[in-house]
Amino acid sequence: MYKIKLEQKERVSKREELIITLSAIGIAFVLSGIFIALNGVNPFVALWKVITSALGSPYGISETLVKAIPLIFTGLAVAIALNSKLWNIGAEGQLFFGATLATAFIIYGPVLSKPLELTVLVILGALGGALWAAIPALLKIKFKMNEVISTLLLNYVAINIADYFLFGHWKGKDNFPYTPEFPVEARFDRIGFGRLHTGLILALVLVVLLYILIYHTKTGYKMRLTGSSLKAAKYAGINIKKTMFMVFLMSGALAGLAGVSQICGIEYKLHQHISTGYGYTGIIVAWLARTNPFIIVIFAIFLSILLKGADSLQIAMRLPAAVGVVMQALILFAILGSELFKNYNVKLIRGK
Amino acid sequence: MTEIKNNSALILMKNISKSFFGNKVNTDVDFTLDAGEIHALLGENGAGKTTLMNMLTGVYFPDEGEIYFKGKKLNFKFPGEALKIGIGMVHQRFSLVGNLTVLENLILGHPDNKFVINIPEKKKLIKTYMDQFNFQVDLNAIVGELPIGLRQKVEILKMLVREVDVLIVDEPTTVLTKQEADNLMEILKSIAKTGKGIIFITHKMSEVFNIADKITVLRKGLKIATVDKDETNPRKLAKMMVGKESEATFERPKVDTKPGVVKIQKLFVNSDKGVLAVNDLSFEIAGGEIIGIAGVSGNGQVELADALTGNRDVIRGKILFKDDDITNDPPVKRIDKGVSYVPGDRIHVGVAGNQSVWENIIMKVYRLPLFKKGLLLNNKKLREYAEKIIEKYNIFLPSINLPALLLSGGNLQKLIIGREMERDCDLYVFVYPTRGLDVGATEFVRNAILQLRNQGKAVILISGDFDEIFGLSDKIAVMYEGQFTGIFNNGDHSLEEIGLMMSGCTEEEAVKEMTDV
Repeated sequence: MYKIKLEQKERVSKREELIITLSAIGIAFVLSGIFIALNGVNPFVALWKVITSALGSPYGISETLVKAIPLIFTGLAVAIALNSKLWNIGAEGQLFFGATLATAFIIYGPVLSKPLELTVLVILGALGGALWAAIPALLKIKFKMNEVISTLLLNYVAINIADYFLFGHWKGKDNFPYTPEFPVEARFDRIGFGRLHTGLILALVLVVLLYILIYHTKTGYKMRLTGSSLKAAKYAGINIKKTMFMVFLMSGALAGLAGVSQICGIEYKLHQHISTGYGYTGIIVAWLARTNPFIIVIFAIFLSILLKGADSLQIAMRLPAAVGVVMQALILFAILGSELFKNYNVKLIRGK
Repeated sequence: MTEIKNNSALILMKNISKSFFGNKVNTDVDFTLDAGEIHALLGENGAGKTTLMNMLTGVYFPDEGEIYFKGKKLNFKFPGEALKIGIGMVHQRFSLVGNLTVLENLILGHPDNKFVINIPEKKKLIKTYMDQFNFQVDLNAIVGELPIGLRQKVEILKMLVREVDVLIVDEPTTVLTKQEADNLMEILKSIAKTGKGIIFITHKMSEVFNIADKITVLRKGLKIATVDKDETNPRKLAKMMVGKESEATFERPKVDTKPGVVKIQKLFVNSDKGVLAVNDLSFEIAGGEIIGIAGVSGNGQVELADALTGNRDVIRGKILFKDDDITNDPPVKRIDKGVSYVPGDRIHVGVAGNQSVWENIIMKVYRLPLFKKGLLLNNKKLREYAEKIIEKYNIFLPSINLPALLLSGGNLQKLIIGREMERDCDLYVFVYPTRGLDVGATEFVRNAILQLRNQGKAVILISGDFDEIFGLSDKIAVMYEGQFTGIFNNGDHSLEEIGLMMSGCTEEEAVKEMTDV
């Protein structure tokens, strides 16, 4: 009988790491192909369809980028937390809570001039996300509660709060659960390429700002040291709890911006489907990009190609809607599994 | 005591050697255990006791040497096999499932378990063991809710239920009160009477003489001797444990001391486990003075250092630094006030291993206005600062962008010491500063410590190395169970006397023990 033996690796080079990550994505594609084949579709044809539908036309490209915008926000949100070894699984809930708070201003507040109105909405969206992230942050810092569980569970609470208003006070005239359309003042401008809107610019500006924050400021240094070793950070005189709390707030604020960007940039109203799991897909983006803000943009686009492609597969090839989710899941699964190969040499030995 | 005695030994370990990453942990060690014998394995932390036993239980494989059990050569492939053939170990960290009851823990993983477990039958079997050895444990209690002393009994009971012939207990009394420890030793004695062999790992002298038939002393991975209890005394053992006294080769010029730079008053500090680690300690340190703290690891030295530097909360008492009460200051304030710490755990505390070398060097200065560029950090200036320290302290490395964890032990310690010396503090706390370093790096570190003293700094040196303690210290304090069993000028007591104080004797008792013979 053979047994698998693991030996701890001292260190893995950047090149090795890249090869392992790309292999993991490759394996995920092969597995997805099998899944597609089982549904009676030639996987190569499906892959071609994914690529052409997402990148084969100006419309396809613009729609792909439209989906990339919230993924950049949520990817940044999860990555900045990961940078300090914190898991924010709650970007989805923070997205919804930010969107809900911004919507509340649109419904109850005065209509301001466009620049002012949008500034207020962006701030409220970020604030909502930050507030929602403050709950698990306090639970972790005060009571050592695991943030994976608290952030995850609070997603359902946030979504239900949004539902409460959508099915109640904010219900549309035809009794469906969505708000009336927002006034023009509360809409992001289009930038002249399909449905692409100024949210993209906001996202890219934040990418640069976060890069500077992480690598060129005291705050960023504290965050990185905290993520690298809690004991060393404490030894260096860093207030770990304060740093963690701040990171959570920033993470939540970024996820909240994803919500604002969706309602003000694309949907022009709040409803139940402003996010197709962008908060969760952001986890995959962050994990693939390894906390570097610029690389997050690349992987956000990569995953939005898959999302867009999966939509087309559903329509053109009559594959179930689950195909997109399954592919995402397989990628995350393969990436997490590949961690083993980064940390260990895996050997097959003869056992008795 | 040994009514049942076989001619052939129960365990025979021959010429065992083991290295980790090029460091020899055991070198050519022999060890035998007879049935019915309690054999104490004595030695300081890091002497190689636990590693030796881990090879006996199949956790590690020896690089060289052979192990025989009841005359049969052992060749384990997997750790579980040792327990199957009858060698069981109770580790310092217990392997019990906290959410299950005592009974469930005892049955869990038992090799006789079928798909359906006959619980009443098992219970009866367990009860017979409990009666035979006078265990008092409630089988229905949840293990996680039991006090630590009882949990340990469950561990031992678990081994008995598995019918082991050899029981290894790794420093079992460190977590116990005096009564619990006495009770445990009675139980172990009665177990040995039934013909089982017991290996008792410890560094406490009193226990050795209470319980052991034979004693094997290990030091720095080497077996020093195996002796019968009746043929030895604490003094001889203490000497074997700590090694030879060597000549101090360090010049300690007279410097003007500044009394009372640090005053510690009735200090109480807890360990991570919530047990009192520093117990009512009061002393003072002058500027221009090195106070060497000797003691077996785990007697509160590290907790004391952590508390002084703000890395651990103080339960009660006061720390005065230059007559300023810093007891409740967070680490950052103490760093600014001039307290420096070179921690014993270089890799996990002294540096953030995944961050680059230069980012680790700037760890305590990056906040200074000097390194600001508007709202940002002046990374260029910070790198230059790091490069200056690397050159000044002769740290050898290919690139300052290298993650710190890739540095060798010596270079890493140079990095930490360079970083700390450059800050010009008034109190320096060193914990095991030369542990694991080669000769060259050791000399560098020791000279650095002396240099600080000569500059008039107050220095606390916590060390397990007697060359270091004797060579550098102006005063020596011996720490045992959170208290000083003695604090005196370097030269007032011999190594043997200090060895005795390290095992719990007071200064007077130690002197008396030495003059009696």
